[in-house]
Amino acid sequence: MEIFVLVKQVPDPEAMIKVKSDSELDIENRYFTNFFDEIAIEAAIRMKEKFGGKVTVLTVDNHRVDALRRGISMGADEAIQITDPLLEEANPFAISRAIASYLKDKPFDLILAGRQAMDDDAGIVGPAVAELLEIPHVNAIVSLEIDPQKKEALVRREVEEGKEIIACSLPALFTCQKGLCSPRIPQVLNVMKAMKAQIKKLDIKSLGLNPNEILGLKDIIKIKNYISPPKRPPVKMIKEDFPENVKILVKLLREEAKVI
Amino acid sequence: MALDFTFTEEQEFFRQTVRDVVNRLIMPRVKELDEKEEFPWDLWREFASLGYLGIRHEEKYGGMALDTISQMIFYEELARGSCGFAMSVIMQVLMGTYFIARFGNEEIKQRILVPAIKGEKIGTICFTEDQSGSDLAGTRTLATKVPGGWRINGRKQWITNGPIADFTTVMATVDPKLGLKGLNFFLVEKKTSERDGFVVGQRLHKIGSRCSVTSELIYDNVFIPEENFLGEEIGKGVQYAAEILNEVRVMTAMNALAIAKNAMDDAREYAKNRIAFGNPISKYQLIREKFAKYWAWYEASWNYAYKCAWMIQNKIPCTNECMLAKYFATEMCMYAVEEAMRIYGGNAFSTEYPPQRYWRDAKFLLYGGGTHEVLCDYLGRVFLKD
Amino acid sequence: MENEIWVFAEEYDGKVRRVAFELLSASAKFSKKIGAKVSSILLGNKLSEAIKSLTPFSDKIYVLDDPILSPYTSEAFILNLSNLIKKHRPYLLLGGVSSTTKDLFPRLAMNLKTSYAPECTSVEISEDGELLVRRPIFGGKVFSELKFSEARPIMITIRNHTFSVDESLNKSAEIFSIEALKDSTISRKKVIGIEKVKGERVDISEAEIVVAAGRGIKGPENFKIIEELADVLNASVGTTRAVVDEGWRDQRDQIGKSGKNISAKLYMAFGISGAVHHTLGIGTCKTIVAVDIDPNALIFNYADYGIVGDLFKIVPALKDELRKVVSSG
Repeated sequence: MEIFVLVKQVPDPEAMIKVKSDSELDIENRYFTNFFDEIAIEAAIRMKEKFGGKVTVLTVDNHRVDALRRGISMGADEAIQITDPLLEEANPFAISRAIASYLKDKPFDLILAGRQAMDDDAGIVGPAVAELLEIPHVNAIVSLEIDPQKKEALVRREVEEGKEIIACSLPALFTCQKGLCSPRIPQVLNVMKAMKAQIKKLDIKSLGLNPNEILGLKDIIKIKNYISPPKRPPVKMIKEDFPENVKILVKLLREEAKVI
Repeated sequence: MALDFTFTEEQEFFRQTVRDVVNRLIMPRVKELDEKEEFPWDLWREFASLGYLGIRHEEKYGGMALDTISQMIFYEELARGSCGFAMSVIMQVLMGTYFIARFGNEEIKQRILVPAIKGEKIGTICFTEDQSGSDLAGTRTLATKVPGGWRINGRKQWITNGPIADFTTVMATVDPKLGLKGLNFFLVEKKTSERDGFVVGQRLHKIGSRCSVTSELIYDNVFIPEENFLGEEIGKGVQYAAEILNEVRVMTAMNALAIAKNAMDDAREYAKNRIAFGNPISKYQLIREKFAKYWAWYEASWNYAYKCAWMIQNKIPCTNECMLAKYFATEMCMYAVEEAMRIYGGNAFSTEYPPQRYWRDAKFLLYGGGTHEVLCDYLGRVFLKD
Repeated sequence: MENEIWVFAEEYDGKVRRVAFELLSASAKFSKKIGAKVSSILLGNKLSEAIKSLTPFSDKIYVLDDPILSPYTSEAFILNLSNLIKKHRPYLLLGGVSSTTKDLFPRLAMNLKTSYAPECTSVEISEDGELLVRRPIFGGKVFSELKFSEARPIMITIRNHTFSVDESLNKSAEIFSIEALKDSTISRKKVIGIEKVKGERVDISEAEIVVAAGRGIKGPENFKIIEELADVLNASVGTTRAVVDEGWRDQRDQIGKSGKNISAKLYMAFGISGAVHHTLGIGTCKTIVAVDIDPNALIFNYADYGIVGDLFKIVPALKDELRKVVSSG
C-alpha cells in the first residue's frame, strides 16, 4: 500500500501566544507534531504493518520539520517538505494546492491527515486536497478498515447522533479524529533514524506550480489583524457555607446571568 | 565561526522525543512513584523496550550509541519526570554497565551487557562503604588473589538498584596500605545456587528518589573467576574511574537543572495565582527577587553544564570544569528548591503540593559525584596552585 | 450590490437544526443593512416539515428534495450546491458548526475557489456595510479578524448560540424546488448505517446547557449525580480528557483541545481543575460556573461564579434547588 500522511508542526498547547501588534504574534518556541496528525501517522504505520507498502509524511512549512522527523521515528519511510517563500503565511487553500500538485501524479492508495491543526483550528486542508485530487474523503474518522484487494475502506465517522458507517472506494483521503488509535512511542533506534533522515525539499517551481495561482489563492482569505481574547470579568466566588451557597448560586444564575 | 550556542536540529528533535515519552509514561505517575517506594517494573520494561537503556553502547550488543550531548539531554529530560526513576535508569545506562563494556571479555558482554541493554539484567556500581564515601582511599572491601580468580570481602552501602541488581561493578582494594593505588574494579554477580555472589543486605529508606530502591550489598568471601577483573592492569582503578567521572558529574548537574526547573516552574504558576493582601504574590518584590536570582543562576549553570558536555564530546580535558559544573548546578538547585518551598508558604509543608518532593529529591545531589566540601577543597587548591 | 445571504439549513430526520434559525435571524438583521434577501438552502429527503419550519424565517427557500441527498454525502451535496451557487453567486453562505459542515464546507470552498472561515464566534455587518468576521485560533488564545477577496460566496460557519433566534420573524418565504443532480460516476462512497449513541441528550457541541465533571468525580459510577442534575436542566453531560483517558466516559463527551468546543449559554464544571487543555474548549460559553474542592484550582480563573466545596454535597443540593426554580417557570 502506498500511503501519504499530511502533517504539521504546531505550537504546544502550553506554549505562550500573545498578540504583539495588530499584525504580529509572539509565539513561544515550543512546537510539537499536531496531535491529530500523530494519530494519522499511527494509523498509516499500522496499515503498512498489516499490508506492507510505504508511508510517506508530507508537510508544508518554511521553518520546521519536527512533524516529519516524528513520522519517521514512528516508522514512516520517507519525508517530504514543501517549502517556498511564496508559501509563507499561506492560507489553507494555497497550501492545499501545493500539496495536491505534488500528489497528483503519485500512485497512492490512501491519504491520511489530522482532522484539524491546533494552530489555525480550521480543518480545511484535508477535504480541500481531496477535492483537488478528485478523490472521495471522509472527515473525522474514528475507525478504519481496509481491503486492499477490493480497493475499499470501511470507516466510521463521528456525527452528532452517533457514528456513521461509510464504505468508501480507494484511493481516498480520511481525516483522523481522536479515538481512531493511540500513537505509539517511538523506539530510540527509530528516533536516531529520524534524526539522521534525509528530508526531500520541494519548492513551487519544482512542483510545476504557477506562482500567480498561489498568490491568487492566498488572496482569497487573509488575516486582517490579531486581537487578544476578550477578558472575562473576575470570578465571583460564593463564600457562604453550604447549603446557602447553592441557593445563592441558583439565584444568581436566574436573576443576574439569566441563564435558567 | 566558533561559539555556536545552539543544539543541532537532530538534538532538538531528540529532546522533544524524550520529553514526549516522559510526559506520557512518567508524568501521570509522579506522585505514586514517590509515595510507594517500590521499583516500577512496568515502567522499566517500557523504557527498555523503547531502547533507551542502550544509548551509550555499541549496536553489536543491542545498543544505539548517541553523542554525549544527546545523552545529557536524555538525563535532563528524564530527571524532569522522576528523579528516582532517572537514578535507576542512569545507573544502568552509565555507571552500572560502563566497566562491563570497557573491560569485560566477549563472554561476559554476551552474558551481562546484552541482557542489561534489554533491561533483563540490572546492574549497579559499588563505591561507598560505611566509613568511606568521597574518600576512596578509605575503601576496605578487600580483593584477595586466589588460584583461578579472586575472593571479594566487604560491605557496600547506598547501592542504587541494590535490592534488584543482578550484577555489580565493585570497587575493592588489593591492599589498604596502597591507598588509591590499591583500588580496582571487579564484576560480581548475584549469588545463586549455581554461582557464588553478593547478597542483598539492609534496605535503605530514603527521603527522596524513593522509587529507586537502595540497599547494602554484602560480599562474603565471594569467589570470582579471573576474567571478572575489570581492567588491564592492577592498581589502575582510580584512573579507570576517572574515565567516567566527568560524565557522572555533568549528569548530576543535569539532574540538578531538571529539579530546579521543575521547582521554579511550579512556583511561578503558584505565585501568579496565589492571592495575598489582594494581589497575586508575584507582584511583590521579595518574591520577584527569588525568581530573578534563580533565573540568572539557572541560565549560567545550564549553559555551563552543556559546555562541559560539549568538551567531553570533543575530548577536551575538562576534569575541573565538570566538577565546577556539578558544584554550580547543584548549589543553584539547592537555592531553587529552598525558595520554592518558601514561595508556597504554608502549603509547602503539605505533601499535596510538589515543592517538598523536589526539595527531598534534590538533596542527594549534594553527595553524588563527591560532596561539595571535598570538591571545594580540591578545586580551591587547584585554583590557588602556582 | 450584494444580492442574497444564504443559510445552509441542515436537516436531520426531517427537522432543521436549531442553529439555522439562529443564522436566519442574524441574517435578517444583516439584510437590513445591505439590502440582501435571506435564503434558506435545504438539501435532503422528505422535507415538507422542514420547509414549514423555515418559512417564517426566510425570504426564499431553495429546496432539493431527493433520496440521493439523504443521508448526507459530500459528493451529492457538492454536485448540487456547486451548481446552485454558480447560478446565483450569493454574497454569503452561512452554516452552523456540525459534523456535516466540517466535512462539506472546506471541500465546497475549494471547489468554488472561494473563501471559507470556519467556527467563527462573531459575524457583523458595520454601518457602512463592511463584513466583520472574527474567529479564535490557537485554541482561543488569540482571535483573528479576516479579510476577504472578491470571490463569492463568502462561506462562514458560526458557533452555536452565537446568535439568538428571533421568534418574531414572520416572513412568507418564496419556495423554489430544484431537481437534484445525480452523477453515478462519482458515487464512490456509501453510507451503510449509523450506530446511534445511547441516550436522549443533545451533543455537547450543540447543547444550550452543559454540565461536566472531571477527575474530582472519582469514578464512572458517580456520574449518576451529574446525569440527574443534567436531567433537571435538560442539559448535556461533558467531561475532561483525564476522565476519557481513564475510560470512565466516551470520547464524544470530551470538552477541550482534542475534544469538542462548546458554546453553551451555561456551563457548569464540577471537580475540574481547569488545565489549559480543557479551558480552551469553553471560552465562548456565556456563563461558566465552577465547583472544586481546591481553592487554587485554575478553573476559577475562567469562571463567572465559583464555589469551593465538595461536589458530592453540592451537586445533589443544586439539583434539588434547580428543580424548585425550573418547575416554577
